[in-house]
Amino acid sequence: MDSKGKNETYLIVDIDDSLTKAVLIDRIGEDYKIMGISEAPTTVDPPTLDVTVGVERASNDLGRKTSKQIWEAKRPSRVQRFLCSSNTGGGLYMMVAGVTGMISAESAQRAALGAGALLIDVFSFSDPRPDFEMIETMRSMKPDMFLVAGGIDGGAVNQVLEMAHLIGAADMKPRFGAQFQLPAIFAGNIEARKRVLDVLSERKYAVQAVDNVRPAIERENLGPAKEAIYDSFRQHVIIHSPGYEKLASWVDEPLVPTQAAIGNILYSYSMERKANLLAVDVGGTTTDIYSVYNGVFNRSLNADIGLTYGISNIMKMAGVEKIMRWIPKEMGEREVRNIIGNMMVLQPASLTPDEVLVQQAAAREAIRLAVENHEGIASRLKGVKIVRTIADIFGQTLEPTYLDLMKTRVIIGRGKIFTQDQVSDAAIVLLDALQPEGVTEIMVDKLDVMPHLGMLLKTNPEAAKQILLREGLSRLATCVAFRGRSTKGQVTMKVKITRSDGATSGCEVRFGELKTIALGRGEKAMLEVIPRRGLDLGMGRGRTLETEVIGGKLGLILDARGRPLNVPAEKDILVRWRSSLTGEQQPSS
Amino acid sequence: MEKSRFERDTWIRKTRRISTQGQVLVKTGDLVKPETVVAKGTVVNPDVRKVIIYGQLDIDPDEVERYMLKEEGDEVKKDEVIAIHRSFFGRSTRVCRSPIDGTIMSFSKSSGSVLIRGMPIAVEVKAHVPGKVVETIPGEGAVVESKGTLIQGRFGVGGETVGELVIAVARRDEALTEELITNELKGKIIVGGSIVTIDALRRAASLGVNGIVVGGLDQKDLTDFLGYEIGLGVTGKEETGLTVITTEGFGPHSMEEETFHLLKSYEGKQVSIDGSTQIRTRMLRPEVIIPS
Repeated sequence: MDSKGKNETYLIVDIDDSLTKAVLIDRIGEDYKIMGISEAPTTVDPPTLDVTVGVERASNDLGRKTSKQIWEAKRPSRVQRFLCSSNTGGGLYMMVAGVTGMISAESAQRAALGAGALLIDVFSFSDPRPDFEMIETMRSMKPDMFLVAGGIDGGAVNQVLEMAHLIGAADMKPRFGAQFQLPAIFAGNIEARKRVLDVLSERKYAVQAVDNVRPAIERENLGPAKEAIYDSFRQHVIIHSPGYEKLASWVDEPLVPTQAAIGNILYSYSMERKANLLAVDVGGTTTDIYSVYNGVFNRSLNADIGLTYGISNIMKMAGVEKIMRWIPKEMGEREVRNIIGNMMVLQPASLTPDEVLVQQAAAREAIRLAVENHEGIASRLKGVKIVRTIADIFGQTLEPTYLDLMKTRVIIGRGKIFTQDQVSDAAIVLLDALQPEGVTEIMVDKLDVMPHLGMLLKTNPEAAKQILLREGLSRLATCVAFRGRSTKGQVTMKVKITRSDGATSGCEVRFGELKTIALGRGEKAMLEVIPRRGLDLGMGRGRTLETEVIGGKLGLILDARGRPLNVPAEKDILVRWRSSLTGEQQPSS
Repeated sequence: MEKSRFERDTWIRKTRRISTQGQVLVKTGDLVKPETVVAKGTVVNPDVRKVIIYGQLDIDPDEVERYMLKEEGDEVKKDEVIAIHRSFFGRSTRVCRSPIDGTIMSFSKSSGSVLIRGMPIAVEVKAHVPGKVVETIPGEGAVVESKGTLIQGRFGVGGETVGELVIAVARRDEALTEELITNELKGKIIVGGSIVTIDALRRAASLGVNGIVVGGLDQKDLTDFLGYEIGLGVTGKEETGLTVITTEGFGPHSMEEETFHLLKSYEGKQVSIDGSTQIRTRMLRPEVIIPS
């Protein structure tokens, strides 16, 4: 029992399009532990048409595994608390609109993405599309919800109203069920609020107004819009899916979108560690990027970019040659294209070794594309007048994006690509795609429990954080890499490592090499690295780095391939990079 | 690789509906041919024009209302005057005309502008398969029942078409090459073996072949044939004039033996095919229907 006299057993379920995953968490003495994990197919679609059936199956299986009475009287046992996140129907499909693309529409976009939405389009008067095309797009790509922003408080009213008329003229129906009203949230100029709501109500949208996402040009206020999105999600969207009304009556905390739960736990972890963080979530259809830089959370989403249904789209967007450059063996274009096409069409349950290589290559490009997109979202507020000094210009202190790999302490990978294959494969995909600089801890969500821990966070933050650190995150390695390039064979880093028992060792790393040094999981050591002149480990060019590092499954990785990373045309180099992580850890000399 | 699926001599029900409310032209019990029009109607024209009236009349936006000659819902012809402003006792007249034939969709008092939507576009849906109407859907279409064999492919491009089935290869592992596409195949549905070459695709399209059913297809050739890369597995609206269905997937794959022999046994029959594929959302796969 906790301090309030309630039981501290939690049944937490995350429901996505294909799987319903139940996790049982309990308190053993002072510690919280995952007692078991079970999955069952999601049952929101025909023939079952009742999401609770999948929840019951997963829970019953969990009950058998843990020998606990998890399900009784046709619902989750009241002995434990029941929490749930959901991402069925492909997620929360949202459209957003603002007056100016780079100001109000961008803030609305950040609010929607931050709330876990799958953003299907953004409209503004900066949009090159003519009005009729925007109206047609709104009408044909039925969203679950619309977020309308526009104008700072006390600013322009007419343009905001004009956008409202455009949205009204589209006369949109929600994605699921034309008989329902489409939820429309207005989070724009407070002085336009009444008239905008009148226009949207006329067209039978389910309207609500919240505080402006951009009350002033230099200020963003996403909280109220995000809360309104959660409310609408529960009241208007998810409740129309089969079985959700019953599910909503069982939960001890309101249902939230899966991606919002993931965002919550990542943000909390970053704050706890006081460390900048970048997380990539590569799914079958979508690729999400989450970042927290100096306490600012951002999420971006590349819908339709993924490793099964979305893999052909990676090829379309990146180009087949970009994927082929990462494959560590000679493979013809036709073969690669056919493998990718079949992955989309057939989604094979098990992959051949060649298919694994192609999928991992595509994953690197999916992440690269997603990070490029994220740079635009994780940006300082546009429209704010900045007075640049000469120092700013030379010091590059006013970068347009927060995203800076040199300042990223933690990188986390989510998705099957990081958990089904070898640990070294997961690590090299992350290193190649993200190209971390300085000192970076590389981790993966091995158990795929971030949504569950994100849900637990609100009810029992201590439990959520404890489990995340002890069981949720799997530490692969700490990577040390420099910014800059050198010439082949030149010594780029002179490394000295001092272990907790006082033993010291050292090695040199030449340009182009990828080395590992044995350092046990969680083991700490002091590291001193002297970079070659001109190379930067985060301390300034040529300056020595002295820091504490933590080991992982692969120990410590010394990445001397240079940044930006040039992908070599010689396949044997790619093989060597891969095997330098897969092989035995090289003892330090 | 998973086999293509088929059902022999089965009852096939096809729901044929237009994407709007319109007129159903058949009734329950009617016998229909593939080309019979089941329902017709009109859909909203995507062409919407914004006309900024206050600018053309040289007045303030909030004054526009009193100079309007048309209201929301009124039909207008191209160049018809929709607002007029006379000043100086009629000596100076400014007018605003409609840029298209259409309907006034909305009028915004605050911005002094109107949205005019083009006239509705006619749509119709055909039966696609021969059979009997077993149910009508008021205002939208009907359900046509047909007995026949249904073969489901893996991936396809191009929409619905019909034609006589011709087996163009001797063996299921033989490639369908350009030389095999002869002039007599115009308007036909051709069955190939392991793969169709890009030259064969181009020749078939230019000749006016209606469809190709084949074991495999190189993804690169498909891309070159369409002229663009397919990103998502949602197809059916490609405008190549040729429907292509692969029964096994991408790359060279001998057509599954049972499928090939089944198709061969129906050579000379009129068949209905549809390349439409939706991998994720509805798991719609391309299909070949051979009526009994």
